[in-house]
Amino acid sequence: MADVALLTWTFLWLSFLCVGGGLGVIPEMERQSVAIHHWLTAREFVDGYTLSQLTPGPSMLVAVFVGYRAHGLPGSLLAGLAMFLPTSILAVVISHHWRRWRTRPWAAATERALLPVGIGLMAGGVYTLARTAVHDGVTVALALATALVMAGDRVPPVLAVLAAGGVGWFLSG
Amino acid sequence: MRRVSLPRLAAVFTWIGLSSLGGGRSAYFHEALVRRRGWIDHDEFVQDFTLSQVLPGPNFSNLAVVLGYRLAGLAGAVWGLLAIVLPGALILLALSVLYVRGVFGATATGSMRGMSAAVVGLVLVTTLRIMRGSLRGGRAALVAALTFAGVGPLRLPTIGVVLVMTAASFWLLRAEPTPSLDRPEAERA
Repeated sequence: MADVALLTWTFLWLSFLCVGGGLGVIPEMERQSVAIHHWLTAREFVDGYTLSQLTPGPSMLVAVFVGYRAHGLPGSLLAGLAMFLPTSILAVVISHHWRRWRTRPWAAATERALLPVGIGLMAGGVYTLARTAVHDGVTVALALATALVMAGDRVPPVLAVLAAGGVGWFLSG
Repeated sequence: MRRVSLPRLAAVFTWIGLSSLGGGRSAYFHEALVRRRGWIDHDEFVQDFTLSQVLPGPNFSNLAVVLGYRLAGLAGAVWGLLAIVLPGALILLALSVLYVRGVFGATATGSMRGMSAAVVGLVLVTTLRIMRGSLRGGRAALVAALTFAGVGPLRLPTIGVVLVMTAASFWLLRAEPTPSLDRPEAERA
């Protein structure tokens, strides 16, 4: 019971760390879920993030995966609610006032200051995923090949990911 | 205040949620609401996009909430959020159940390895695109690089890194012009 509360609380404060993109919170989410609370292994975490990428909707639905792995249905429901509900309420409140605020100097300064921090966090998210997911010649080649294909902007991301899954399945079979 | 009926808004947002599979999430909103339907104009979209980036929280759901609020008030925000999050949440929950029960099994392990490596390539490209689109000047790049080093290789707690780097960023960028966030196309995942 106490651990379910801890799970909910952890995803609640993690949701407020998603500055400039969900990817930015991945390093801390992995640290909390794997190293600190042992809700799952690093491998399972990366698999969960991969499944969330294959699923429509926000990638922060990975909270549902971690919640389910840790505490079944109640865990997934609470982690999902904690991830999306409080920040959405905040978004409505700020949105209501933002049209007046956004021209003020402090609002512009905040936008300006948070932008590079958000980008650094995103890059940290790429690093955290790569640490577990990219570990040998095959995975390096698949990551680079996908990056090249995506840079071309012609292939839908899901197709590229599924194709890499086919390669991985073929090589392991 | 209400520009669009709620059922219409829910239907369009649900479709955006379902079709935003794997990437290009904000771009789908731009395409559906600005270019295809003309419900809002480009400047309004950019305002809402910027706000959803600056606000804490997953920015895809933030964008749905902010756009929903603009289109149909509080009810629009609620419907926008549900339409974007719920279908994906149910699908991912089903996948989680299968994964935890080991239904994917040994044969699927190889493909999960391949797919997660591909996801790294995918998020790398997204991150590089956003860097190119909105990271301007050496000082901003320094802030981004130090933030990356802190939460990435050094594995420091994100809260501490964000607090220190945001303060440093305010100070370092105090005299710079406002960055250009008006390129929703740059955000692809």
